[in-house]
Amino acid sequence: MNNNIIEIRNLKKSYDNGKIKALNGIDLDIKKGEFVSIMGPSGSGKSTLLNMIGALDVAGEGFIKVAGIDLTKTSKLNEFRSKEIGFVFQMHNLIPNLTVLENVEIPLYEANLSSEEMRKRALELLKSVNLEDKINQTPTKLSGGERQRVAIARALVNHPSIILADEPTGSLDSKTGDMILKLMRDLHQQKNVTLVMVTHEPYVGNLADRIINVLDGKIIKLN
Amino acid sequence: MSFLSLVVKNPFRNKTRSSLAIIGIAIGIMVIIALGMVTGGLKASAQSTLKAGAAEISVVQTGSGDFGGGRINESRIADVQKINGVKDAAGTLRATNTSITVQSIVPSPSSGGSFGFSVTGIDRNKLSLAGVDSVNGALYSDGSANEVILGKTAAEELQKNVGDTIVLFGKDFTITGIYETGNFITDGGAFMSLTTLQNLTNNANQVSSIAVKVNENANVTQVSNTIQNTYPNELSTTSAASMANRMNNALSTIDMASWAISILAIVIGGVGVVNTMIMSVYERTREIGVLKAVGWKDRRILSMILGESVVLTLISAVMGTVVAVVGVVILLSVSSIGGVITPSYSPDIFLRAFAVAFAVGIIGGLYPAYRASRLSPTEALRYE
Ligand SMILES: Nc1ncnc2c1ncn2[C@@H]1O[C@H](COP(=O)(O)OP(=O)(O)O)[C@@H](O)[C@H]1O
Ligand SMILES: [Mg+2]
Repeated sequence: MNNNIIEIRNLKKSYDNGKIKALNGIDLDIKKGEFVSIMGPSGSGKSTLLNMIGALDVAGEGFIKVAGIDLTKTSKLNEFRSKEIGFVFQMHNLIPNLTVLENVEIPLYEANLSSEEMRKRALELLKSVNLEDKINQTPTKLSGGERQRVAIARALVNHPSIILADEPTGSLDSKTGDMILKLMRDLHQQKNVTLVMVTHEPYVGNLADRIINVLDGKIIKLN
Repeated sequence: MSFLSLVVKNPFRNKTRSSLAIIGIAIGIMVIIALGMVTGGLKASAQSTLKAGAAEISVVQTGSGDFGGGRINESRIADVQKINGVKDAAGTLRATNTSITVQSIVPSPSSGGSFGFSVTGIDRNKLSLAGVDSVNGALYSDGSANEVILGKTAAEELQKNVGDTIVLFGKDFTITGIYETGNFITDGGAFMSLTTLQNLTNNANQVSSIAVKVNENANVTQVSNTIQNTYPNELSTTSAASMANRMNNALSTIDMASWAISILAIVIGGVGVVNTMIMSVYERTREIGVLKAVGWKDRRILSMILGESVVLTLISAVMGTVVAVVGVVILLSVSSIGGVITPSYSPDIFLRAFAVAFAVGIIGGLYPAYRASRLSPTEALRYE
């Protein structure tokens, strides 16, 4: 029994009938509760790797086991995502006509909770990102940083074991970006949730436990 | 927020587009309801000519047509009464008073097609054969007093009440009662004693038709034929059933036309719904990707989009119904046909309209919902 929450062996993924090799044999272990930052140039396969971990796409070749579930074998990918994963994207991807609170409740529809329970959970998360005074506003009225905080609350509301963040500060100014990074690091520590983040922020090196560099669909060792 | 509230909230994101789709379907629903109310009212009226107690057979002079421009000698009433299977027979004389006009969609033939006021003379004891079962007030008296009972529609149009006076054929008549049969032709006319009308119109001993009621166990067609065969070239018969049938045939033509119009409206509206939902799914591609990323099952995405489509069409149904009911009531209250058509509020009409709306919602939403549920999450999230 090891304490790796993510185990990846020789993972390959190609698109367009093999013409594009997005992942070219990835081997990666991530421990439970670790904060791992993934870096690499655009098109190197970072998002694809994150999507594989989050079971948004299926592997072409190789082995991937996340939170004890062999993702090459299970057919209940929705259930896996709903229970184990929280996503934060570069774009906040909030639903514009719903309030902040309603947006955070979205992942809970598959969790069989009462409306009150959903509300309670969403409120709790919105408090932890310091947005309890904005719960009834629509995202259009919020600043970029506030929107991303709503997205973080949404990613945590289902009490996932892993947060997958794909360039969460990519569309923010550097000051706001730093604030978001720190917030995510703090929440990861508070809630003891594994955090895998793709980012270009050099500053992340001070925060993450480990940095992984990806190039042409492979992990490269820098030292 | 419940899933249902989410589904109800979503269609209002693009108000202009949703409104257009709603208006399209609402017009179709409005047509279905409005035509249903009007034809339903006419059908009920046609059906009421087959009322229990009323005469099943009308005997007229051969060659004179249904509305009885011809004349039969009174003595034939007793002769017809004797025919096997006949339970009761009553002579009726129909005359048109052209000095009063009541708006009626049925032109009276004896007045050369103009819209005269039809007065029927019949023995007061035989009124049930003409379909008049009860009278508000009293019947006219037996002899030749100048008394008359008015149909409800006629009374409303002429603004007459029981006890008022009305001038008919140049004489003052007292209105002793007002009746309602549900048949728009009968309710637009008046009845008085046969003798009085015969005297007034110089038709002594003449009637224009004989109303015949058959025995319970007798066959209407058989009795009809016997009457015609006993007095060939003199008496002809029409049965109330065949009259009602003819009317129903005319109405089913209207019915078919209204269905054709409705289907057309629904198809156009339905295309609007498909279009609206496809646009909506297309615009929300990334959002659907997020829903998948947070663990929504394909089935939930399918029901959300289908639900949104049904919300659109059900709103249309409510709006179409309100506009149709208000429109029909207003139209009938201001137009001349108002008196003769009582709109039908049969639940059938409304159920049918809502069923159609629901079906359009499901059918129109099916393809967009399927597309949304089958989107690949990674591609949806990459969508710009
Ligand atoms: N759904 C897809 N269809 C086709 N090509 C794709 C798809 N997703 C990713 N790719 C390609 O795979 C490669 C890696 O993409 P990605 O993982 O998004 O890179 P990164 O996130 O590091 O910028 C790129 O060449 C990209 O164009
Ligand atoms: Mg990327």
